[in-house]
Amino acid sequence: MKWLRHPWLTIRVQIALGAIFVAAAIPKILDPPNFAHMIYNYRLVPGELLNPLALILPWIELLCGLALIVNLWKRTAAMIVGVLLVVFIVAVGINFARDNAIDCGCFTQNPVSKSYDQLMNEMKWVIWRDVGMLLLVAQLLYATADRHELRRRWDDRRRYD
Amino acid sequence: MITGKKRPLFEAFALVIAATVCAVVANNLAARTRKLAWKAEYPNAMIVRELVPLATATPSPIILPDISAAESPTPTPTAAPLAITATPTHVLTVGSTPETTPSPTPAPVPQKEFLPHPDVPWVEIGYADVRSLYDRNSLFIDARRSDAYTDGHIAGARSLPVWEADIDERVKAIYSEGLDQEKPIVIYCSGGHCEDSHMLAQKLWGLSFNNVLVYKDGFPDWKQRRAPVGTGTKP
Repeated sequence: MKWLRHPWLTIRVQIALGAIFVAAAIPKILDPPNFAHMIYNYRLVPGELLNPLALILPWIELLCGLALIVNLWKRTAAMIVGVLLVVFIVAVGINFARDNAIDCGCFTQNPVSKSYDQLMNEMKWVIWRDVGMLLLVAQLLYATADRHELRRRWDDRRRYD
Repeated sequence: MITGKKRPLFEAFALVIAATVCAVVANNLAARTRKLAWKAEYPNAMIVRELVPLATATPSPIILPDISAAESPTPTPTAAPLAITATPTHVLTVGSTPETTPSPTPAPVPQKEFLPHPDVPWVEIGYADVRSLYDRNSLFIDARRSDAYTDGHIAGARSLPVWEADIDERVKAIYSEGLDQEKPIVIYCSGGHCEDSHMLAQKLWGLSFNNVLVYKDGFPDWKQRRAPVGTGTKP
């Protein structure tokens, strides 16, 4: 599995993830009311938290994306990106399970009117896409882990078990 | 210097704080139509509406009324309306031919009453009722975003974009006009699953407007029926 830790792969995954999140964040930053409407459609966020989330979340995405691109705090940025992806997958999954056809609002803030079947198909695709991005995050975290520190902690645990 | 286990926590905290500061500054600098209020109420934010499949993108056949029939509510003996699609290539005008005999003077049809309903925030109505209220110069309100309103709206409708930051001030301004709160007000948005009109109706109901009607098929239906449309920022 050494190829998973190769710097050639890691830097490309890092920049790709960063670029994706920057691209996703910009339309949301430019039109917060529309993003708030998208979050509302998920029917998962309490009303009081909806607007603050719509205002702050895109900036978290943008800053984490930029951090990955410029190689600053990359592990922390990758972990936050991973958490966001898990949240998105769960949110879309819940709505898919309860037949609430929604537009994910991930990259576009002006969706074209779509039918129920189109939206449900897109939700499936969104889940798989986000799982794919989560694998990229996993590769990044694996490749950038401090192996000596991990080995030391593993040995300490075995010693005391 | 923060190291070890605490470092990721510190970095995450710093990123979130930076994001919050950026959000506050950006929202303050945003244009009016792009601002979002930090505090807002969405009573149905956690409730999923009953599932109703969205219509397909292809418009379904509709019946357009004869122009002469609009002036005399009862249909003429020979001018039967035709079912047509809403695409321009299939538009047909329906009217009486030179050979038809003139119709008798119709008896006046009593206007439908839209009575106040103080116990519910809104009642949904269809095109026929909406058109009737439009012809009586009732107040029409567009709940969509300002951009959508500017591109096209029901002629004479006022814009109260429910998702923009100043919606509460605009609703209060409507209240301050001292309008008769028992008279029907028609609110519309984009039809289908759009709930913007229902959200706005709830706000007006909160200020004791007891006769709010929601045009359930919204502006797309109005436009499809070639009813009067306005553009620009003014009603």
